[in-house]
Amino acid sequence: MESQLLSAASLSALLAIVLIDLVLAGDNALVIGLAARNLPRQAQRKVIFWGTFVAIAVRALMAILVVYILALPGFMLAGAIALVWIARKLLTPDPDAAGSQAAVVPAVSFAVALRTIVVADAIMGIDNVLGIGGVAAGSILLIVLGLAISVPIIVWGSHLVIRLVDRFPSIILLGGAVLAWTAYSMIVREPLLAPWLADHTAAKLVIAILAFSIALAPWYSARLSEDRKPLVVLLPALLVWLLGFEVAAGIWNIEMRYLRAAQTGEYLFQAARWLGWLPLAVAFLWLREQIVARRRTTARG
Amino acid sequence: MLLIHRSPRAANAVHTVSPSGELFVAGVVIFMILASFADAIDPAVFGQAVPPEFSLFDFGDEFSVLGLCHWNLLQFVTAGSLLSGAVFVLRLGGSRACKVLRSASRRALSKVPI
Repeated sequence: MESQLLSAASLSALLAIVLIDLVLAGDNALVIGLAARNLPRQAQRKVIFWGTFVAIAVRALMAILVVYILALPGFMLAGAIALVWIARKLLTPDPDAAGSQAAVVPAVSFAVALRTIVVADAIMGIDNVLGIGGVAAGSILLIVLGLAISVPIIVWGSHLVIRLVDRFPSIILLGGAVLAWTAYSMIVREPLLAPWLADHTAAKLVIAILAFSIALAPWYSARLSEDRKPLVVLLPALLVWLLGFEVAAGIWNIEMRYLRAAQTGEYLFQAARWLGWLPLAVAFLWLREQIVARRRTTARG
Repeated sequence: MLLIHRSPRAANAVHTVSPSGELFVAGVVIFMILASFADAIDPAVFGQAVPPEFSLFDFGDEFSVLGLCHWNLLQFVTAGSLLSGAVFVLRLGGSRACKVLRSASRRALSKVPI
């Protein structure tokens, strides 16, 4: 067990878990403080202790649940799609970040405060637990170690985390990339897709680029000039188009390799596959141009 | 309510990230995509013999694009930091070389020590 834990793969999974914990850690201390602020001093201490305890218990319960849920067919794919969305949201700039306050109503009693903390922790912890579950690939040992790392972050490490990401914002970008990579590996491991992916190995590369192009869109979009911004939509859309044809060919038993196409239907299929997206892309660019022009006119008026 | 959103620099990481940090993460992402490329190539298609275009990638079994499919995050991070370090050194060396090769302006000609 010790040698298994010290293997490069396990240490790497642990590094991914720590990274996901860092970037997706919820602001539990703030929630507990806000929920307890209107209570008497004695009750406040009780809420802080039990709130922390309940937050840890909820996180542990969710982590165990995620391991079992991800083992069910279809849930790995759903989890991967959710992770891509989480990574994209993580990288999306938030100009009023420090100014925004958590929407937590101060509680009037101990029970209400505890309920608020449980609900807030469950909502804040979903993305974190999903990411850890995806990285751990069903290993309870890694889940336990992940919890052992995330619990001190929840309880004591918030200031350290804030100082670290404030000094090195590239940790956030790396976290987004690791989430996208985790999503890709979850899709590849999905039991429902495994037989299809074994026959269409090239689709794996398309899926990986699709995951990265959606998850890291806020990053590369910030580096693109205004006239090249449509690429943020066009690139993932083109990849989805190609994947769609790959799936359709599997369903209707059509020859996908263009050099082996022999019938008129197969030639038409290939033409639609490689050129069919062009009119759609032109229509999208035209529509976007119209919307931008209308917005400019409205802003002037 | 993410913890990182308490820091304005972290919440706007795509704008506040340093060029070297960005280069490092870009290196990691490039290696991740290369690994998925290696994963997408079916070795059975080529049989036992690897054709020349793929052997170009193959610098021995240990360091090969085709072998990247077995890489883990530690390897991606190491390779990404090496790549970003190499690009940084090349850029620095390139800019120094360009500076040396650039001829002095006509106005400053009299000040050039011979």
